[in-house]
Order: sequence, then C-alpha cells, then structure tokens
Amino acid sequence: MTEKGKKEMSSRGLEEKINFSKNIIREAIERFNDRLVIAWTGGKDSTTMLWLYKTTCAESGKPLPRCLFINEGDVFPEILEHVDAVKKMWEVQIIELKNDDVLNKIKQIGDIVKVDDLNERNKRELEHIGFKEKEFAFEPESFEGNHLMKTVPMKLFIEDNRIEAVSTAIRWDEQEARKEEVYLSERNNPPHTRVQPLLHFRERDIWNTIHKYKIPCCSLYELGYRSLGARCSTHKNSDIPAWKQDLENTPERVGRGQHKEKIMEQLRSLGYM
Amino acid sequence: MKGHHKLRVWKKVVVLGLDGVPCSLLNSFIDEGVMPNFARLKEEGTLCSMTVSIPEVSSTSWSTFMTGVNPGRHGIYGFMELQKENYSWRFPNFNDLKSKTIWEIAGDHGKRSIVLNIPSTYPVRPLNGMLVSGFVALDLKKASFPEKLYQYLSNIGYRLDVDAKKASKSIDEFTDDIMQTFRKRKEAINYLYESEEWDLFIACITETDRLHHYLWNALDDSFNPYHDFFLNFYRELDEFIGTFYSKIDLSIPFIILSDHGFTGIKKEIYLNAFLREKGYLRFTKEHPATFEDIDHSSRAFILDPSRIYIHLKGKYAHGYVDEDLYEILRSALREDLLSINVNGEKVIKEVYFKEDLYSGNFFDDAPDLVALPYDGYDLKGSITKNDLAGNSNLTGGHTRENATFYINQKINCDNINIIDVGVIVLRLLGITKGNLEGRPFFLDS
Repeated sequence: MTEKGKKEMSSRGLEEKINFSKNIIREAIERFNDRLVIAWTGGKDSTTMLWLYKTTCAESGKPLPRCLFINEGDVFPEILEHVDAVKKMWEVQIIELKNDDVLNKIKQIGDIVKVDDLNERNKRELEHIGFKEKEFAFEPESFEGNHLMKTVPMKLFIEDNRIEAVSTAIRWDEQEARKEEVYLSERNNPPHTRVQPLLHFRERDIWNTIHKYKIPCCSLYELGYRSLGARCSTHKNSDIPAWKQDLENTPERVGRGQHKEKIMEQLRSLGYM
Repeated sequence: MKGHHKLRVWKKVVVLGLDGVPCSLLNSFIDEGVMPNFARLKEEGTLCSMTVSIPEVSSTSWSTFMTGVNPGRHGIYGFMELQKENYSWRFPNFNDLKSKTIWEIAGDHGKRSIVLNIPSTYPVRPLNGMLVSGFVALDLKKASFPEKLYQYLSNIGYRLDVDAKKASKSIDEFTDDIMQTFRKRKEAINYLYESEEWDLFIACITETDRLHHYLWNALDDSFNPYHDFFLNFYRELDEFIGTFYSKIDLSIPFIILSDHGFTGIKKEIYLNAFLREKGYLRFTKEHPATFEDIDHSSRAFILDPSRIYIHLKGKYAHGYVDEDLYEILRSALREDLLSINVNGEKVIKEVYFKEDLYSGNFFDDAPDLVALPYDGYDLKGSITKNDLAGNSNLTGGHTRENATFYINQKINCDNINIIDVGVIVLRLLGITKGNLEGRPFFLDS
C-alpha cells in the first residue's frame, strides 16, 4: 500500500475502520478455516482483535478460531487474570505455548543458561539468528530470549499443526519497523500467512473501540502502562491511565524493551552500578 | 539584499566527538609531538577547555550537547533511575529524551544529517538522514537507521562498542578490542562521510573513554607495560583526525568536543555507604542486592555517580520524609557530604541543590542534591560496598572541567559549556536557536 493510501486508511472514522477490519477477518476465516489461529497476548490490541473476531464470527455463524497464548516466562499476573476472565466470558479456546527446555533451566530472570545444555532445536535456532556465545543471561525480551521464548514455540506449533495463518494485532503507528506491513503477509520460515487486520488502527482508535464497546482490558493500563511485554522489561509510561495520556505526542513503547541485565552488564563494565 | 553577501554560502557543519578527552591531554600531546596533526589544527583554529553538565556522565552531557537545553528540559539525569512505585531499576534511553535533537531541528529545516555513535541515542529515532546509535546500544538492527545502513554495518563487522568486560580478564584482549573497535569506527565514519549527502555530519569516538577508564595509570608511567599502547592509540587517533580534516572543505566549520574531562583516581568514594553510616539509608538485608531491599524508614539514597534523592512521602511508594522536613534534611545532607574526609583530604568540592542546576518541565525528576568531587575522588552510587573508600581496577574517572572544545576558526572562548555547542552548530547551519539555552557567543555580533 502506498504511503498516501495508508494515511487515508488511518484517517477514516472508527466505524469504517472496524468494518474494514471485519472484512479482512471474514475473508481470512473463509480462506483458512480452522487452519487459522489468533495470537492473543492479553494486551489491548490483541484483545480488541479478538473482540473483532468474536463479533464477525457471531454475525456469520462461524466458530471462533483458536487462540495462541505465548508464555515467555515472565508474564504479569494481571495479564493472566485478564486472559482467564475473557476466556470464560467469551468461551475462548486457548492453547498455551512455552519453551519448557529453556524454562526448566532457570529459576529467575538473569539466571545463566548454557547453550550446550539446550536441546538440539533450540541450539539450531540460536545458530540461525547468529548467536555465538556459549551462554546467556535469561531475559524473555532480549534478542536471543525473544527468539527462544516467543518465536520458537510459535514456529514449532505452526509446523506440528499444519497451521496456515496466524492473526496478529500489530499496527502501523506502533513503531517504525511496522510501517511497511501489509494486511496479508506471506512468511517463509515456516511457510504461513500473517493476517494483520488492525494495521490502520491508531493507538487512540484502540482505546475508543475498547470504551465504546466495553471490551474488557487488563488492569495494568489503568495504572499507566501503555504497552505490555514481559514483566521484567516493561514499566509504566506515566501514573495516569493509558487512554488519558498524550497518545499523539508521546511514544507508546517507551516503557518497553528495558533489557536490564544486558544494560547493567555494560554499565558495570565501566564502573557504574 | 544588502549585506547578505557576507553570509556563508556553505551552510554545512562537521562535528567530531571524542568521548572523555580532556583538553589538557590534547595540549600535552601537541607539545610532546604525539599529535602533530592536532598541532596544525590548533594553529589554524581555537582549542579551549570547556565545562560540562552535572552530573558529569556521558548520557547527561551528550544529551545536553544534542538538545542545547539543560537536563531539566531534556530529562536525562544519568544512566539509571529508580522506579518510584517499586524501587526497581529503569534505564532511560533515546526514547526518554524529551527535547528535539539538533539533527531533528536541522531536519525540520530540510537539512540532512549523518549521526554516528553519539552516546544515548539508542534505539534509533527516525531522522532526515542516517543514525548509528552509541552507548548503551544493544542490538545493531535497532541501532541503525535506515535499514540499509544496518546492512552496510553488519557487512563490515562494525562494532557498537568496546567490550570493557575484557579488561577484568585480560588487558591484552581489552587493548585488542579497543583497536579493532576503533578501526571499524573509523571505517564507518570515512565511508559515510564520502558516500552520503549531508548538511550536518556528527561522529563520535568512544574508545578514548574506555581506554582512559582502565589505563589512565599508564599515561604518565613510562614503565607501565601499556604506556606505549596509550601513546600509540593517540598517534593513530591523531592520524585519523588529520586525514579526516584534510577531506573537509576549508569553508566548512569543523568542531571537536568531548563530554567530560578525565583524571587519575586516588580513591573511589561509595556515597551510599556514607549515608548508611550516618543513618540516612537502611536496607532490610545486610548485603542488599538492589534498591528493592531498601528499608522504608530510609531518608535518602544515591544513584550513580553522585545524585542524591530524598525519600519523600507521596513521591515514592514507601516514602518516609515529610514535605516540611525536606529543606532541613537537604541542608543536613549538604553539610555531612561536605565534611567527608579521606586520609586528611576533603573529598567533596561542592554540593548543589536541584534548583541551582536545573529548570524545566522535568525538574521534578531531578536529583534533590548533586555532589561534585575534588579531582582524584570518583563518586559512586554502589550499594554493595560497606567501606567509604576503596579502589577497583578502574584507574581514571570523569571531571566536570577540562573537557575539550575545538573549532577551525580563531575565536574567544568565553567560559564555554557543552550546552552552547549544539546551539553553535545550529547557528553555523543558519538556524536560529529558538528557545534553546546554549549561547552561540562568538557568533553573536
């Protein structure tokens, strides 16, 4: 899509955006049926996406696709509570994925994992991303941690269950790297289609949808979190509820990606901390 | 258009950062013949000593340079902060910088910038031009804008930083790493300088700071096995500066600056140990690992290097100090800190209150007091030390004075501070300073 087209899409009214997303969802379900799964993190975007699926399915009399919930090893208890509540309310079928091989080797964030102790698949995956060290400090959202804890379980699930499509709730305005994304995006390793029906939603649209349709949302947002990741690497952006913050002029993901162990290691080597 | 013919046609500027290089060191190396190229630069321009931000750490200083405003406005007071709700660490990064950078302002005026390795620019923020992040940068991909720059950097085996952890294992490995990183840095700088279009070119060498931290003791000691390495590193740096300067058109202003000075460490001073001894700070464990172990009855604590925070009620989850005791406590802390004495020598030269140093929208986040030491005493915020003073394998520490400013023009250096430099750069690009605080003093007519 051209830059102009994207701008035009993003500037439409809320109902128009919702309908556009529902059309994408309807087509995706038509095409992939039960070979489509929804990636649900419990965050505001993917919960809004799940609501869109639920509404679309109810309208067309189709069953709600299964949801993948990836436990990367440090989930906020508030997210688990929220996921559990929504699961019961909307009768969602959830498949929880995690990398047990890594999780069995650690007790807490920062524990050292020796690459030699990992199973062959995990070793191969580390090699694949060019990780050459003999060990690493466990952090779910570091470069290698993110790959092992999120990407690998997802890959395995897709391979083992002949999944053809995974729906994710990424948005164009979320971060620079997502600006080039398209609604249906073909992936190679393993081969599958990414369905991305929320690309044109702005952060503000998500909150407007949640409030207008009373979609349940995780309690952390009210405390000031704007974007949720692993507990150890996510912090509040402010002390006021996410939707009351200056969404248009302050970055959404400031509270994310605090790879504390790695940063501390570098700071310590120069005499800090 | 009367009088306009006097304006420069070329509105381009080149800036080279030399992290942690003191002006006095450059002057000695010029006098001793170690830096013949810099000697020529000095003859053709002006080299002068500069003061920097307080605290005198790279993140705060470079942020002040790149925004032209004080930390009260740009929001970066150091490399780490405590989260007020749970006392866990938070590490401000480029996304936390609250003011526009000079290259973003230049971009608003249609100017293209190349920015390489300025500390505290990770992860990248998009700009009109290209940027490679500097310390603390974790992942090359998130440290490069645009994507094609990442391809180039990974192809040449670019290194984001020296692995300073090596210094604890083997100094030889550490010095090797310094040279390899420095050579990749030079390669990237030269390549981008020649292959890209730009109006503003800013690059920074950080290997100098790493060298100084661990091998400052080798500088004046010709028997030290790394004395020659120190000098040879500076010879290579001088050669690089000479060659780089020769590529710059004579009409283009060329600025060199550092973010703080350096000096030998007599003793490291562990200020939190001092606060514990005086009863200001308590932990729930005998050997605390993090500030999450802080006792709620604590009245003050210190974050690196010398930022003192009052444990105020209402500000922190378990704050202890009532608002109306704030001033009394600050005065008591100042007095106590000024009294610190090691082997008969005073350690602290000055203790500032936050309002002495900072103003702006992010004033509330500022440390309540900041201490500045006499040269030779390196202030630390460690909580694992029990003694007031000690030594580590670091032999050099930062100074607030004696940083470097150079420009290839004859000017009068009028008490220059790092906050002035970004504004000078903008003025040389033909952009007025707006509401920035730095003074482009020698350009004011």
